[in-house]
Amino acid sequence: VRCQHYPPLRALQASAALRRASDEHKQEPLTSSSQQHFDSPPAGHQPEQEPQGPHPSYTGQGGQESEDYESEEQLQHRILTAALEFVPEHGWTAEAIAEGAKTLGLSVAAAGMFHSDGSELILHFVSECNTKLSKLLEKEQKLVQLGEAEKKPVDEFLRHAVEARLRMLIPYIEKWPQALSVLLLPRNIPSSLNLLTSMIDDIWHYAGDQSTDFNWYTRRAVLTGIYNTTELVMMQDSSPDFEDTWRFLENRVADAMAMSSTASQVQSTGEAVVQGLMGAAVTVSNTETSRAVR
Amino acid sequence: VQLWRCRCRALLSRPAGRLRAHRDLTAGPEMHFGFQTVTEEERREKIYQVFESVAKKYDVMNDSMTLGIHRVWKDILMHKMNPCPGTLLLDVAGGTGDIAFRFINYVSSARERQLQRKLKYHQNLSWQEIFESYQKDKFNSLGDSQVVVCDINREMLKVGKQKAQHLGYSEGLSWVLGNAEELPFDNDKFDVYTIAFGIRNVTRIDLALQEAYRVLKPGGRFLCLEFSHVSNPLLSRLYDLYSFQVIPVLGEVIAGDWKSYQYLVESIRQFPPQEELKAMIEDAGFFKVDYENLNFGIVAIHSGFKL
Repeated sequence: VRCQHYPPLRALQASAALRRASDEHKQEPLTSSSQQHFDSPPAGHQPEQEPQGPHPSYTGQGGQESEDYESEEQLQHRILTAALEFVPEHGWTAEAIAEGAKTLGLSVAAAGMFHSDGSELILHFVSECNTKLSKLLEKEQKLVQLGEAEKKPVDEFLRHAVEARLRMLIPYIEKWPQALSVLLLPRNIPSSLNLLTSMIDDIWHYAGDQSTDFNWYTRRAVLTGIYNTTELVMMQDSSPDFEDTWRFLENRVADAMAMSSTASQVQSTGEAVVQGLMGAAVTVSNTETSRAVR
Repeated sequence: VQLWRCRCRALLSRPAGRLRAHRDLTAGPEMHFGFQTVTEEERREKIYQVFESVAKKYDVMNDSMTLGIHRVWKDILMHKMNPCPGTLLLDVAGGTGDIAFRFINYVSSARERQLQRKLKYHQNLSWQEIFESYQKDKFNSLGDSQVVVCDINREMLKVGKQKAQHLGYSEGLSWVLGNAEELPFDNDKFDVYTIAFGIRNVTRIDLALQEAYRVLKPGGRFLCLEFSHVSNPLLSRLYDLYSFQVIPVLGEVIAGDWKSYQYLVESIRQFPPQEELKAMIEDAGFFKVDYENLNFGIVAIHSGFKL
């Protein structure tokens, strides 16, 4: 038995936790703006319910964003960002998310919105790190374009980018192995692979790679290998400021550079060999023809 | 089954006929009570009587009707909730306390793990400090978690309290008499609101959902475990057969109460299906409303958040 007048009531009801987009600048604590008592009949009270302005359009269940209120995804983002500071203590778990929700003024039950193994938290963190890296590389590129900085050679650029990205893991390094194992769960592999490949792509883009041939694949495969192995080395590195890891990184990048020059050497050697063989074949055939003629 | 239902309806329609004759005397819209049609007030009264009579045999009947599977359903509900220590739970229509006891078990083991982890994190403490922290935390074995069991029926609460005493649950439990359509609690109080196999018996479901919204804190979670509709046709026929032929018989044999269990299976059929209940929950203001079917739709867990 559903009363007919409830649907319009929902549209006017102020959300308890989803903030108006304008509030984000003021950074108010989360309090429910106009919680109504449902005993009061809605009809006569409509003009009074929203003193702040035009009627607040709530977010539809399809996640459509309204002009005024943030969507559920944005709220989830805020909770996950707040949860990151509790990760060193609680690990990448639902408890860290619960603590994060508490700091935003929400109930700890809000952690139920996410999976209980903390996958979303880890994926959120990785995506945030990738965004930070992109911004950093973009800023540096602008400096180079403005002529205020020197353009780095490729190997140094790669080293710098990978180191900058791996340094973002340092505050969470103790719980990072747990995160890596969660990222390898079959359920998470599509998303984590996606994030990894787009990060590698970004780095190569800012390194100035414009290849359109098979090199595109080899370069990304090589850099993915370098990144993953360096990350694993970092997990068990106990040297001060991870010096061993950066040295390992330097060696791997040097190897990759040498390999690519070896490859081009092999290619040119190959071409030379082929040309030599062709010349030999022509010489032999000429000799045969001349012998036949004689 | 069809013949059986017609006979049933013939038996039950007589009192309904009498009610319709008195329509001008009894106010209120017509509602369903199983397959009967009654007014709101009548329905509330009848349901109260049903549970008053089944209260003592409630748990035994649950086990025999569902062959013990209801325990698994309730465990799944608790896992879905995944409460951390410090959660405040309101269990409405929680009569005999099944959900409440499971909550306490879950939270105390979560608390133990939390304490162990805290210890590992602070491994540089001396043995003296560790011993002192044991003393301090011993009195906080639930981590400040609390569950309030609310039920409209005094008999069910009585049975629940006796069970708690018998099983040894003392702290973290409160028993409150209250109506789901009008809860005696203030706004924004609870972290989680559960209603397990109870919302079917609420006369005005929309009011109950609104009350749920009111008493939950922002970010709080609404969980509803309830019998629902089976979409698979073969299974649905088997289920109907079992429900209408076996369950009332069990009710008569074990609890000596045919009519109550007839009401039970009929009320399951009258309850809105999964999608409709989801829409009703969304209407009450909850976000991220979703449901999970257990056993092909025999039971469904609906979940929503007050955002």
